[in-house]
Amino acid sequence: MSAVSGLLPTRSGSGLGRLGRVAGSPLLRLIVKRVLLAIPILLGVSVLTFWVLSLIPGDPARAMLGMNATDQQVATLRHEYHLDESGPHRYLDWLTSALHGDLGTFMVSSQSMTSMLGDRWPVTFELVILAFVVSLGLAVPVALLAARWPGSVFDRISMLCSVTGLAVANYVLALLLAIVFAVELGVLPSIGYVSLSHSIVGNLKSMVLPTLAIAIPLFCFYTRFLRGDIVDQMQSEDYVDTARAKGIGPWRILWMHAFRNSSFGLITIVGLNVGTLVGGTVIIEQIFALPGLGQLLLQGINTRDTVVVQDLVILFAAIAVLANLLVDVLYAVLDPRIRYGSR
Amino acid sequence: MAVVDASSAQLETVALAPVRRGVWLDRIRTWVPAGVVVLLLVVCFLGPTLLPLPKPTGGNVLDSGLGPFSSGHLLGTDSNGNDILSRLIYGGRSSLFVGITVNLVGIVVGGTIGAISAYVGGIVDTLIMRGLDILIAFPSLVLTLAVAQSLGPSTRNTIFALAFFSIPAVARIARSSTLRLREMPFMQAAQLCGSPGWRILLRHVAPNIGPQLISFAALGMGIVIVTEGALSFLGLGIPAPAPSWGNMIFDGQQSLSATPLEVIWPSLALLITVLAFNQLGETLRARWSGR
Repeated sequence: MSAVSGLLPTRSGSGLGRLGRVAGSPLLRLIVKRVLLAIPILLGVSVLTFWVLSLIPGDPARAMLGMNATDQQVATLRHEYHLDESGPHRYLDWLTSALHGDLGTFMVSSQSMTSMLGDRWPVTFELVILAFVVSLGLAVPVALLAARWPGSVFDRISMLCSVTGLAVANYVLALLLAIVFAVELGVLPSIGYVSLSHSIVGNLKSMVLPTLAIAIPLFCFYTRFLRGDIVDQMQSEDYVDTARAKGIGPWRILWMHAFRNSSFGLITIVGLNVGTLVGGTVIIEQIFALPGLGQLLLQGINTRDTVVVQDLVILFAAIAVLANLLVDVLYAVLDPRIRYGSR
Repeated sequence: MAVVDASSAQLETVALAPVRRGVWLDRIRTWVPAGVVVLLLVVCFLGPTLLPLPKPTGGNVLDSGLGPFSSGHLLGTDSNGNDILSRLIYGGRSSLFVGITVNLVGIVVGGTIGAISAYVGGIVDTLIMRGLDILIAFPSLVLTLAVAQSLGPSTRNTIFALAFFSIPAVARIARSSTLRLREMPFMQAAQLCGSPGWRILLRHVAPNIGPQLISFAALGMGIVIVTEGALSFLGLGIPAPAPSWGNMIFDGQQSLSATPLEVIWPSLALLITVLAFNQLGETLRARWSGR
């Protein structure tokens, strides 16, 4: 399809001239195409979530009212939450109200989901952002140092650490960190959350261990990838030889040439990680008792509250889809070959 | 990576027969993880019948919280009075069983879907791939949690939930490998001979994409075992009295400050297992993809 549209003269291109075509249209077309691709995926995700959750054998209304509720009470509650309607009907109901910004109610506290999400997203967001900042902030310098002298002691140690770090499950790491820093040393709190508006220092202190538990495996992953990619380039790419021949210093080649090129791969991996990472916060938030989205999801799962689970699973999937979309677009912005390539 | 290491070793020690050193390093990298994996399998699957282990469940509360090297309990007992070593081995058996089964299902089902998708092509390929895109869009742990919850905690359901996200990943890899194969002369020759589609898939495609799928599965083992642990840790995996590394870690977490060893033993087991499978997967991939 794209090959055909590449052959046809585009209207915006002929109107704006050469510059317009170069700067806008291929990129715009790519963005539109990706967005259009994301919509059916999001719909599919929501349908699948609905379907999987409708397989849950228990009845949420009965679970909520307890053993002694009469059938009449259960029926009333089921009617109130539209649980007595057919699956497709409920899905369409949910979809229409979700598109209008109404995500239903949290059955346990009868709070509206929209306000619950509003309360809780900053915690998860902060955790994810901190984890990315820490892991990338450490991975880039370590990978550059390791790639500067491949086979050196530093390189070997950093690779050994990252191979080991990759094999550690984040919940294990979380508990080990809690053992060392909260139990043995007693310098950081192992549970509890201090909101950012309450105290900035307290907030950061409560976020250190959860952030590290997520960031360390990511750091290992990024370091390994970056180091390998940069070393490959330094040894086999022509432009590295050209740069050397021009007399550019090794650090500059490493940073300006090799790393710049590797950053594309890194961006892709980071984008792919966003989904996994947001999902990974579930268990970390549970361990450190952080009142974020992941904890809410588990709460919903344990109380069989389909509304919460539905909304959150779809939200997490939407974040993953959007992150990938963003990476695709960013890629095209940064790399002209993608814009004009066959895709 | 091995190539890089060998060449840098050459630069350092030109006189010291660098090639031999590279070969040895390669051998160590293959055989050490392979040996650890075999050892784990033997201990976990034959251990319960060969070793004089106490039962992993139904321990006496009077024996609870014994330290390591106490009589009859090499690693001590947990807060329920169960032998930790025995629970480690039985738990490892269920972790490995889940991991192997999930990966087998992933290879067979995902491999078939991917190979057929690439071989048939056209609208079938597009539909299958879009379907897989939807599955891949789910954060795996979240999807697994939802599936495990809706099915209820049990070993079989854990396997089912984990296979749910192992299949799309394998299918994608199988598809891209099959696409590459389709242009090969021997494939065209088989088609010209009039072999039916299923025969080509079974006799020509399967043996060719097999090694790649197996090395991917070895890498996937680590992820599956860790996720199984996470599910059990959250109480949605292997149900409680039966041991699994995940629920052992969860039990230990309750008394983290008093007996940190209860968390450390299963964590260590998990680490070693995942590390061994990851390294095995890496070497197999390097060997079979001819990098």
